[in-house]
Amino acid sequence: MSHVKEAPSGGRDTHPVTAGAARSGRPRGGGFVGLRPPFKTILIFLLPASIVFAIFVLGPVSFSAYTSFFEWNGRGSITEFVGLDNFRRLAGDEIFRGDLFRGGMIILLSLVVQLPFAFGLAMLLHQKFPGRTIFRLIFFVPYVLSEAVTAVLFTLLLSPSRGAVNQFLSAIGFGDVEILWMADRNLVLYTVFAVLCWKYFGFYMILFLAGRQNIPQELYEAAKVDGATAVEQFRRITLPLMGPTVRVTVFLSVIGVVQLFDLVYILTSGGPGHSSETMAITMYDYGFQRNEVGYGSAISIVMFLICLIFALLYQRYVLKRDLQGSVAGAAQSEGRN
Amino acid sequence: MRKPLNRLRALTAAGAAGALALTAACGGSGGSNDDEITWWHIQNEDPMMSYWDQLSEEWLEESGSDLTFDTQAIENDSFKQRLSVSESADEMPDLFQTWGGGVLAEQAEAGLVRDLTDELDCLDLINPGYLEAYTVDGRVYGVPFDAGAVGFWYNKDLFAEAGIDEIPETWSGFLGVVEDLKAADITPIALGESELWPGHFYWAYLVMRTIGLDALSESAANMEFSDPGFVEAGEHLQDLIELEPFQPGFEAAPYGEGPDSQAAIMGNGDAAMELMGQWAPSVQADSSGTDGLGDSLGFFKFPAVEGGAGDINEILSGGNGFAVGNNAPDEVFDYLCYLFSEENQSRILENADGLFTTVAANPENVLDEVDPHLQLVLDTVAESTGAQLYLDQDYPAAVGETVNEATGGLFLGDIGPEQVVEDINTAWEREQ
Repeated sequence: MSHVKEAPSGGRDTHPVTAGAARSGRPRGGGFVGLRPPFKTILIFLLPASIVFAIFVLGPVSFSAYTSFFEWNGRGSITEFVGLDNFRRLAGDEIFRGDLFRGGMIILLSLVVQLPFAFGLAMLLHQKFPGRTIFRLIFFVPYVLSEAVTAVLFTLLLSPSRGAVNQFLSAIGFGDVEILWMADRNLVLYTVFAVLCWKYFGFYMILFLAGRQNIPQELYEAAKVDGATAVEQFRRITLPLMGPTVRVTVFLSVIGVVQLFDLVYILTSGGPGHSSETMAITMYDYGFQRNEVGYGSAISIVMFLICLIFALLYQRYVLKRDLQGSVAGAAQSEGRN
Repeated sequence: MRKPLNRLRALTAAGAAGALALTAACGGSGGSNDDEITWWHIQNEDPMMSYWDQLSEEWLEESGSDLTFDTQAIENDSFKQRLSVSESADEMPDLFQTWGGGVLAEQAEAGLVRDLTDELDCLDLINPGYLEAYTVDGRVYGVPFDAGAVGFWYNKDLFAEAGIDEIPETWSGFLGVVEDLKAADITPIALGESELWPGHFYWAYLVMRTIGLDALSESAANMEFSDPGFVEAGEHLQDLIELEPFQPGFEAAPYGEGPDSQAAIMGNGDAAMELMGQWAPSVQADSSGTDGLGDSLGFFKFPAVEGGAGDINEILSGGNGFAVGNNAPDEVFDYLCYLFSEENQSRILENADGLFTTVAANPENVLDEVDPHLQLVLDTVAESTGAQLYLDQDYPAAVGETVNEATGGLFLGDIGPEQVVEDINTAWEREQ
């Protein structure tokens, strides 16, 4: 139990530190070394997971990487080696460039609208008032719904002539509203974003709420004694200490946008005229609708690289402090696994 | 943070992961088991879903075969996905849905389907015209159990309301009808363009009417659309699109699902026409939740283009058929001929309740009384002098999808008629 003495703060926080250190493969301080189980034990326990990981993750990824260098229609043997042609074609593909732009737009909107909204809501729901559990529950419900159900639900709500949204707008005095939420190509991306927002704000709200609850009350009491106003408390205590949570939500948000598929596919199939298409939809379209599996693989590899590079850079430069330094940060990231 | 990354990897490698997972999960289901006939069809709703089962049980009993059936009724789109996974794993089901055309030809060239030409002694019970879509280089690789024609389904009441008393037989006459309907404040045409294929019917028909069926087949065989008629056809379509004949929001409307779908709008009497195949009346009723238009629903052939080489009696058509996987046992042939006996064709049509249209060489032997809507299609088929399979089924998938995509761009006003042809030719070039 020597590590208890080594740990910077109370016993409750020691475990995540140990786990974090073990995961990054870097024993930190002599106190931990003695704790490491024998090599053989580690190997035996890692083996099953490694096999599953190799078959279901490494295998398919390598296979995709391999097929991305071929022109292949998904049938028969893979023979037509085309080198980097698929990637060259991708670089000039206007649909894919559009995907990148639209993805960027949704990320931007998420950062500017969705996350601050969820953050504000979390701050409100952190206050003590009657019924706050019920509110938390209600706001979290959309996240629990499956993406397919959400998409079908909004297809009905946003129907131009019979949908509840347009009828509601008409009823509250906007005249005879017939907004083409999904058929108007200048509007459709915002419609998709609104649905995404509705679906996921509850999830981010819960993360922020958990982050807020981890901030010790004593800090605020001390600040009050020192005469800090509510605004000062928020700026000097809440915001900095919420940093790790905010950084993780930004990360999840970006990765989520790169993966975006089912909800958009059911809602708009990427249309009209690609104006709401995402990278994953383009990949699916080429890989499965047009049987251009080689080209589809190339798209998937680029998506993979985007995610991987972003994740590595983000962890290296932004999450660095959270993963190595503060105890709270390690506890946060551990909680996400 | 590992979970989202894992999910991403799984998604990005969807093709390969799917292949692995499926091979692992349903190993042996793809014809490798000798005692079992794996049958994949897409009639995933009753009555046909259970009726196929009933027929296979009857056959097992009558033939005394000790085989068993592993029958799976799969929804259309997921069927296509699962089949393409089976193809890359060379684990074809023994008996499966096909639409013929380019996809079947690709399968035949890859040796994934069995040649039926000399194996089926019941082929003469099927109208030879319908077998064409399932024939590659003179060999038959599939048999249709359903066929029909695409044409304009129209609401007679709305036509009367707009004072239209004559069915248009020329494209300019048709445009006139659209204008009359608009003048009467009626939405002339219902279109579910989010799915793209409903729009491709217009372009395909206009090409057929402009350059004729033979020239179209020849261009497809040469894998190049160089005839100036292809652009001309797009210009004719543009003339229609510029009249804004479609319901508001057609860009995002589906074909058959939900209250905004093309079929629901027709079924509710909110638009006067749709260009659709033989299944239209039953889908109109289903998706609008009504009994359909009944006697008010009429059908007319796609009009001729003035000065065009095509004939008004050449039809764009397609249907459903079955193909036999490369590892299938010979007994599957006996089973197919059991299904295609005139007696059973008749029973299938009766049970399908309007879903299928007969393919019989002698329709009078399998039908005693025909639904009036079906009769309209049958008459059109009987009068037809040639047939073209839907372009998105007939051509290799990459080209077919490009046809849909490019014509979709024309409907949205994104690209012009020349660009449509250029895009399609780019896709053809990639296939060479």
